[in-house]
Amino acid sequence: MQEYLLAFVTGLTAGGLSCLAVQGGLLASSLANQVERDVLDPAHRKTPRSMSAKSTLTILFFLGAKLIAYTILGALLGLAGSVFTFSPAARAILLIAIGIFMVGNALRMLNVHPFFRYFAIVPPRFITRYIRTKAKNSVDYFSPLFLGALTVFIPCGVTQAMMAVALATGNPIQGAALMFAFILGSSPVFFLVSFLTMQISQRLEKWFYRAIGITVLVFGLITVNSGLNVMGMPLFQPRWPGAAQADPVSPTRPPSSDGVLELMAQNNGYFPERLAAPANVDLTLNVITQDTVSCSRAFLVPSLGVQIILPETGVVPISIPAQPAGTVLPFTCSMGMYTGEIVFGD
Amino acid sequence: MVKAEFLITGMHCPNCAMRLESLEDSLAGIRSAEANYQKGSLVVEYDSARLGEAELLLAIQEAGYDGVKIRDEVVN
Repeated sequence: MQEYLLAFVTGLTAGGLSCLAVQGGLLASSLANQVERDVLDPAHRKTPRSMSAKSTLTILFFLGAKLIAYTILGALLGLAGSVFTFSPAARAILLIAIGIFMVGNALRMLNVHPFFRYFAIVPPRFITRYIRTKAKNSVDYFSPLFLGALTVFIPCGVTQAMMAVALATGNPIQGAALMFAFILGSSPVFFLVSFLTMQISQRLEKWFYRAIGITVLVFGLITVNSGLNVMGMPLFQPRWPGAAQADPVSPTRPPSSDGVLELMAQNNGYFPERLAAPANVDLTLNVITQDTVSCSRAFLVPSLGVQIILPETGVVPISIPAQPAGTVLPFTCSMGMYTGEIVFGD
Repeated sequence: MVKAEFLITGMHCPNCAMRLESLEDSLAGIRSAEANYQKGSLVVEYDSARLGEAELLLAIQEAGYDGVKIRDEVVN
């Protein structure tokens, strides 16, 4: 029982914000569908109170679908009891594809060109007919349900750590219960942040639709970049709020005399973000965690094929083979949110 | 029966397509209405003896959109 409580608390504390950063774009897309129906369509224009109720339902559908999807995943992981994770390359491709979808959808919302209408999620006709006949004037629940379930393909680092635990249970019921507890724990933060954003936004509805389009666009670009990060070739270095700041005085640190580099994996990123290392020498990178529960625990060095779930507290040595001068080895968390690099010089 | 295709302007999202398709529930004489958000079109099969084209265009307008007929044909 204690492990489920722990999973719930982990979700409530680290999981909520971490997952919101990765999956927030999908939730924003869900809300956008609701907003464009209620705000833009004069025939559907609602009172603020009615919109609040529908926004709440949209968020709840999204979170409900997410909860169910992850619970099923937990059961499957427990059942499999063996390695069942996306390779970094597969995850990168998935992130890039989702990012492109979000960018396309944002450009559709901003009415840039009719072509971008093809990025809209159009439910099959039999579903729209069902919705029309059975739930007239109801909330559009297909998109939030679909997108909520889709989050199962883009777990944040904390979620992946929990998935690893579910896998280790080797029992479908325990795996399902563990993921259920974790996702349930992460839901209040998701709900509160989304709901408050909607409440503030509804007071400025004239601007809100464009604003949410721009938000989805930004999230989409960040998601594409995250995918490129996981591949080791980011377009830009993301800076999440509260991320570890590079030391302004000494942005790089030399390795110790025995060829050991030290990297702290903190809750808010990797420190230092840039490590200086000598060229043409075999090195050991000690990745240090101390009460770390964030995404940064899922550590990748894409070009070396390194993929490790770090312990909450501990030191994990990683062998870095000799690199020629001028080489830059990027490292990242598994969802491309927190990044850094090792720069090799003479 | 007539099958007519209309070019629709003013659709913002897939929900608009669903709204246009609901004409088959509200307008007597329509056998089927199929809207395509991506193409911005609406294909309607209707009984021309019970429903006129002008009446159909008016219903589209009342739903909040503008329609222009681009083709039609007689079907069984």
